Amino acid sequence: MNISLNWLANYIDLDGLDTKQMADMLTFAGIEVEGIQQRGVTTDLVVVAQVMEKTPVEGSDHLNICQVDAGEGKLRQIVCGASNYVVGDKVPCALPGAELPGGWTIREGKMLGHASCGMLCSASELGLPDKVHGLWILPQDYPIGTPIRNYIDTDTIFELEITPNRPDLLSHWGMARELAGITGRALKADPAAAPTAAAQTRAAGDFITLSAPDVCPLYTATRISGVKIGPSPEWLAERLISIGLRPINNVVDITNYCLFELGHPLHAFDAAKLTGGLNIRRAAEGEQFTSLMEETYTLCTDDLVISDASGAALALGGVMGGLDSGVTEATTDIVLESAWFTRSNIRFTSRRLALGSDSSYRFERGTSPWNVLRAAARATQLILECAGGTAEPVLVGGQAPCLVPEENAPTATVLTQGTQALIHYALDQVSLDWKELDVMTNASVPHMEAARILRNLGLKETTPTATTWDCPPWRLDLKRSCDLLEEIVRVYGIDNIPATNTSIFVEESAHDRAHDYRMALSRKLAGAGFREVQTFKLIAEQSIDPTIASVQHALPIKPLMQGDIIRVALPISEDHSTLRPSLAPGLIAVAARNINQGMEVLRFFECGRVFRNTGGGKGRDIENEVLGIFMAGKLAPASWDNTKPAQAGYQHLHAALDILVPKANLTLTPARDRDNAALGADIQLNGQPCGYFARLSLESCRNLGLPAECYYAELDLRKLQQIATAPYKAADLPQFPGSGRDASLDVPAATRHADIMKAVEAAKQKLLVSCRLKDVFTDPTGEKLPTDRKAMTYTFLYRDAKKTLTAAEVDAAHKAMLDTLAAKVKSLSFR
Amino acid sequence: MKEQIANVQADALAQIAGIADMKALEDARVSILGKKGSLTQVQQGMRNVPKEDKPAVGALLNQARAIITAALDDRKAELQRALDAAAVAGVDLTMPGATLPEGGLHPISIVRDEAVRILRRMGFTLSDGPEIEDEWHCFDALNTPDDHPARNEKDTFYFDSGKLLRTQTSTVQARVMEKQAPPVRIICPGSAFRRDAIDATHLSAFNQIEGLYVDKNVSVGDLKGTLEYFLKALFGSETAVRFRPHFFPFTEPSFEIDVLLQAAGQAPRWIEIAGCGMVNPAVFENIDKATGKQLYTGCTGFAFGIGLERLAMIRWGIRDIRLLIENDARFLAQFQ
Repeated sequence: MNISLNWLANYIDLDGLDTKQMADMLTFAGIEVEGIQQRGVTTDLVVVAQVMEKTPVEGSDHLNICQVDAGEGKLRQIVCGASNYVVGDKVPCALPGAELPGGWTIREGKMLGHASCGMLCSASELGLPDKVHGLWILPQDYPIGTPIRNYIDTDTIFELEITPNRPDLLSHWGMARELAGITGRALKADPAAAPTAAAQTRAAGDFITLSAPDVCPLYTATRISGVKIGPSPEWLAERLISIGLRPINNVVDITNYCLFELGHPLHAFDAAKLTGGLNIRRAAEGEQFTSLMEETYTLCTDDLVISDASGAALALGGVMGGLDSGVTEATTDIVLESAWFTRSNIRFTSRRLALGSDSSYRFERGTSPWNVLRAAARATQLILECAGGTAEPVLVGGQAPCLVPEENAPTATVLTQGTQALIHYALDQVSLDWKELDVMTNASVPHMEAARILRNLGLKETTPTATTWDCPPWRLDLKRSCDLLEEIVRVYGIDNIPATNTSIFVEESAHDRAHDYRMALSRKLAGAGFREVQTFKLIAEQSIDPTIASVQHALPIKPLMQGDIIRVALPISEDHSTLRPSLAPGLIAVAARNINQGMEVLRFFECGRVFRNTGGGKGRDIENEVLGIFMAGKLAPASWDNTKPAQAGYQHLHAALDILVPKANLTLTPARDRDNAALGADIQLNGQPCGYFARLSLESCRNLGLPAECYYAELDLRKLQQIATAPYKAADLPQFPGSGRDASLDVPAATRHADIMKAVEAAKQKLLVSCRLKDVFTDPTGEKLPTDRKAMTYTFLYRDAKKTLTAAEVDAAHKAMLDTLAAKVKSLSFR
Repeated sequence: MKEQIANVQADALAQIAGIADMKALEDARVSILGKKGSLTQVQQGMRNVPKEDKPAVGALLNQARAIITAALDDRKAELQRALDAAAVAGVDLTMPGATLPEGGLHPISIVRDEAVRILRRMGFTLSDGPEIEDEWHCFDALNTPDDHPARNEKDTFYFDSGKLLRTQTSTVQARVMEKQAPPVRIICPGSAFRRDAIDATHLSAFNQIEGLYVDKNVSVGDLKGTLEYFLKALFGSETAVRFRPHFFPFTEPSFEIDVLLQAAGQAPRWIEIAGCGMVNPAVFENIDKATGKQLYTGCTGFAFGIGLERLAMIRWGIRDIRLLIENDARFLAQFQ
């Protein structure tokens, strides 16, 4: 909301405050200052000047060289681009050194080679609303050389963000009341007090029918006859312009003015366009309504309309007036509406129709029924002043709703407004537990001071011990003890409450250990030359852009089934529509992005959450923490030392996995085919399944612009942690030497390492300590070895923990091993 | 004989002086001092030396052997020195290093871990909760009215199941209090989601760290002391911190916290970094109502939520939040 400092100063003494102090005052009241605009100028360097000569600049279609008299005794040359002036006009002239709103300073310069020693100004350049396009043409009686600030009002506009709990601050009077309450500055006269006290009220009788009292329990109408519709007086128009509104006519402007003065929305009908009385009813399902902005809306029964005896909807209650019932130049009699609407209904209508107004903004945050008659009386006073006419008493339909909890109602203090038809307003009564205040503030706020703060904010104690307080009628947010404590702390200032630090002993949780493990793991991978990334959890279901992560590249530990993926109901874009079921899409997109930037080493990892549904969309939503590692491209950047680094292969990703849990036995078991994996294997740690290992499909790699060989592994972080952090003991060093024997196995090319290891295990050789693959040999030419065969050389290490083995014992063990291999592995021979 | 010894010695020394490599040196040792070496052959003439001359000639022989051996050893040492010098002669230590693949942590991980470490030092323990949440934990328990602006499909990601992506890590407050009795002193780093279009300062998925301390007699002073200490530990002891009154449904009073950012070449300005406040008693009542236990009514506590992206951006002067999710290696390489 925009607040004009000049306007505000009508209600509160702001003397001696500069803009910054004012901004601080608002900030520490809990009101966010989003922007500050200066209107007008305070400098003496913008003066009244007369244009004496005007010559077009050659080669320009709009620039003129002007000689102007700024009262300096000689003419000043200024190049000007405006077109709305003639020689002899008086205009504002900014002299070199003048600082204009927006913080820029005028300097002498050249335009198209012509000296320009200042600037002729438009109104907007001086921070004022433009009345015409171009220079601001001043009245001829303004003396040349006089500072322009003598003729214009300067103002400062604060753009404020009001928190939703404080609708009472959405007006100038409301803001002044708050600031006065907080700072103790003098509050001036309440502009609505006198007119409200003088207001005559009558029961509305047949004129107002409240057909939906749950949405509109109180409706007032004031008939004013013989008004003269015309432009608003200057002071009124300027008030509205200053906060960014466009003046329309005196009556409409006054309803707007009262909204921004008192915070209560009003509406004026042309009485001639009404048929009979007003009926405030729910809209019929499908009823059409055309707003004064000439937009047509289809309504439903949750919307509220103001209609008349004709049945037509004249206004959308609390939101906007209709096209045909408003005040025009021809209007002579008006009916002024001031009413109270239930906030949730207004919010519903405004949101559903995407139709917001200054009125709906206030009603949906909550207005005070106490303000209904005040706004009506104040607006009536202003209309009589500015548009003439005579006002009839205010017709009151219904009664102010009781917003006080039922149990408090009988004892509540009740305010009464009006004469014949009285409007009653029950005040909220809130108890204050002083012990709570002492706990909350470590007893640092003196009770006397706290009570003074509450009184300044308009509360009144109703008991001598100040344990119960009447809340002022404008504060709908004060309901409980904690609401009063908030007010005390806010105004007393958290700066004045000493900082303390009590701490308790807490046990380490499983989440602490998970965090520690994840950090240790991440640092280990970083040390091994992998870069951690953090990718977006919302990804696309499908995308042709390689740098957009999409489900089609998911490589989760368990393959995806139909309906496993979880999609948000209303995504912002298809690129971010689905919760990632795997980290692979994000990491692949990162690789694609980086390869576009010329990166040759693609080694990335991410630790994070993945999501899937267990039962094709009908089961539970599961969230798991996993680790994803991607590897492709060169093993290291090329350098003088290694001009052609090797390409990453599956064995290198395997090596990276080995260092994660160095003591565990990590094995890969080839798994069922997946569409997006050329090769795939389940990862086991000490025999427990805990991940998936894949080479990306070659087609995907081609489409994504990635190297042909891309490897990816996804591991369950929780299982990894379990295995990696299991307790263990250190072993003694062996006391006796071991003996190694090599064996070169000639096997079919299709024989797998795992087949051999299985046979080695089957041998159950007690003396065997380890069996390590030493070399693999193939010969594509077929000369040394047929092309369908390969030679795998293993080193077997034998040792006895209790004695040194003799050569014969080692040979015997080795022979038994080779016999088992020959028996278990198909078509095996020794070389 | 004496003459012979002198000749062999002189020849040997001349030969040794001319030797240029180790092998020639070892050959010379054999050819002079070996079994058939020149000096050994002269030595064999001892049996013909008259008895009275033997001691003198013997002494002369020993002396010649010692001199030649010393010359051989000296020459060997010289040659070794030359070899050693040659071995490092061509090495240019100013050459660039060989390359290893570079790794590193993501800036959000770095700043999250630092925040977690500071808060754990202050006695907070980690907690966690699901990101796919129900309305009760995200809104109702936290005293957010039914018609609150956040509770609609324009601002929050909902699923067809009626569940939603949590809009704040504060959901964990409700999850923890449901499960355990006070005192509670937890933090929870995690993701939150809002239906914001992505731009230089907004992400629709972002990271927060949530904190909650509930006990008897927790005060606004504790809130202030805890968060001031935390921010100074993170940004430096000179950091200026201010608490601005604000409004959140689940805390009362509520504050936003600003730190004074002093970037090079810019006027100092306050940057909003966290929201916090004293837990609204309505939250405690909601929890007790849901669990059917009277554990929290009468407790006091404070809660806070800090944006991790914001911490990282302030910490390292990052201008565009999107850099944090694009994962360009040239950007990531700047963090260690």
